[in-house]
Amino acid sequence: MAQSKPAGAAKWPVVAIHDLHKSFGDLEVLKGISFTAREGEVISLIGSSGSGKSTLLRCINMLEVPDQGNVAIDGEEIELRGSGKRRHIGNEDQIRRIRSELGMVFQSFNLWAHMTILENVMEAPLIVQRRARAEVEAEALAMLDKVGIGAKASNYPSQLSGGQQQRAAIARALCINPRVMLFDEPTSALDPELEVEVLRVIKLLADEGRTMVLVTHDMEFARSVSDRVIFLHQGLIEEEGTPDQVFGATKSARLRQFLNAASHA
Amino acid sequence: MTDDIAYWFSYLTNGKHLTWYASFQFTIFAALAGGTLAVVFGLIGATLKNSRFFPLRLIGTTYSSIVRGVPDVLFFLFFPLAFEQAVEWLVATQVCSPEAIAVQTAAWPPCKEANWFLGTPEYLILASVSLGLVYGAFATNVIHGALRSVPHGQLEAARAYGMSAAQVLWRVHIRQMWVYALPGLSNVWMLIVKATSLLSLLQIADIVLWADRLGAPNFLPTVGLVHEDWRWRYYLVLFVFYILVTLISEKAFNAIMRRAGRGILSEAQ
Ligand SMILES: Nc1ncnc2c1ncn2[C@@H]1O[C@H](COP(=O)(O)OP(=O)(O)OP(=O)(O)O)[C@@H](O)[C@H]1O
Ligand SMILES: [Mg+2]
Repeated sequence: MAQSKPAGAAKWPVVAIHDLHKSFGDLEVLKGISFTAREGEVISLIGSSGSGKSTLLRCINMLEVPDQGNVAIDGEEIELRGSGKRRHIGNEDQIRRIRSELGMVFQSFNLWAHMTILENVMEAPLIVQRRARAEVEAEALAMLDKVGIGAKASNYPSQLSGGQQQRAAIARALCINPRVMLFDEPTSALDPELEVEVLRVIKLLADEGRTMVLVTHDMEFARSVSDRVIFLHQGLIEEEGTPDQVFGATKSARLRQFLNAASHA
Repeated sequence: MTDDIAYWFSYLTNGKHLTWYASFQFTIFAALAGGTLAVVFGLIGATLKNSRFFPLRLIGTTYSSIVRGVPDVLFFLFFPLAFEQAVEWLVATQVCSPEAIAVQTAAWPPCKEANWFLGTPEYLILASVSLGLVYGAFATNVIHGALRSVPHGQLEAARAYGMSAAQVLWRVHIRQMWVYALPGLSNVWMLIVKATSLLSLLQIADIVLWADRLGAPNFLPTVGLVHEDWRWRYYLVLFVFYILVTLISEKAFNAIMRRAGRGILSEAQ
């Protein structure tokens, strides 16, 4: 997998993160993080609980505004105003436009409970992207088929299993034609037997050449799906490289410790 | 026997009774308009209370805490009168000569042209607004609590997909809030229904006023005593009316709850 793709250097940077810092109160969660996700690249973020993986992912679409540092999507830097704690989104139109091209998938699915699965998938394309209903509906049904829950289109989220809900959430993200997919531990809320079906869908998307940033606890999966793995430790990138480098020829003692703990979990 | 029926039929369809029947529309109008306004004020109040800007938050909090403490009867007397005089004062500053205003310190309004005559329709609207303002303060509290019950992750997802703050508020937050607010709002609605019995305080010839008049001992010079003090019978009719309204309201709220709870409440699917 990783070898079948050319080295990223020449490809277009879809997500470029520069020197991110973020604190909650006295707790400094991110202490200066930079990385770039290039066109077609799958990047996995790993690290122990509390190392700041979710916070980093949420800074990409500004659900958390970093105290310092910048994020550029497709070469366009997200405008921020103020500094430190007071830093905030500088241009509402810009952030809404950029967010409408970032497909976020949450650990707890976060499907809108009052809408059917089909309505969930059609919501952002209709309301935010203002595309034509007929076209969106056809695409939404195709996406639901693709993730294997076409038959559930008119059900409500609460009527689906966790695995089905997460696949619906993935279809919702796909239907906005995202430039990049952001996954925050998409399978940690699921029973092991339901995990498989979701992982299969994510693998399918990776093989299609979609750009993805994935936070995961599943080292096996990170190894099989990623082009690059980033290990976060105490708010800094402790080690990064191809799966073979990171898992096969681990340099950092901390990462070795983490991988040992993970494999015995 | 047929004579009796004919007698009672013409008694119950005489002009006064017909006016009484018609006055039910005032009560129903005040309840529906007051209820709608209470929800509107409640939505505004709750949104203010949730605002990120301190002054707006203060307005929302002040409204819900102060107005909830004022007895509805007092507010009912105070608001329409205060509103009427405020309008008259505004008009007076435009139409009355300054001398007239200066001289007529004791009289109200300062000059005849500024007098605003309030008839039943005007009082009815003012009464509905009063009901809306008083019970909107309760609705503010109910809705504010309900807004906090909506799962936070779903609001975050809406933002993450590029919805504007207004779209998140309206399409997800308020849409899902109803399920949590309806039990509280149905209580507020019943209080509003009960408070409609205060309409006669505002010179509106409402169902209570007419029941009182019709039930009083009735003596006609040509017929003699038609009936003695029958007020309790008339009040009984009002009891039955209010109980019917309660039953219908319960049915309506159950239906709304099923609609609002679709997908959210398991039994509503
Ligand atoms: N909104 C917040 N307010 C205060 N503290 C927060 C907030 N969000 C995260 N934190 C703290 O920041 C630290 C990093 O959190 P984060 O969720 O990014 O970790 P994570 O690497 O995703 O962990 P996990 O693997 O458990 O999901 C944690 O200590 C957490 O308690
Ligand atoms: Mg996390």
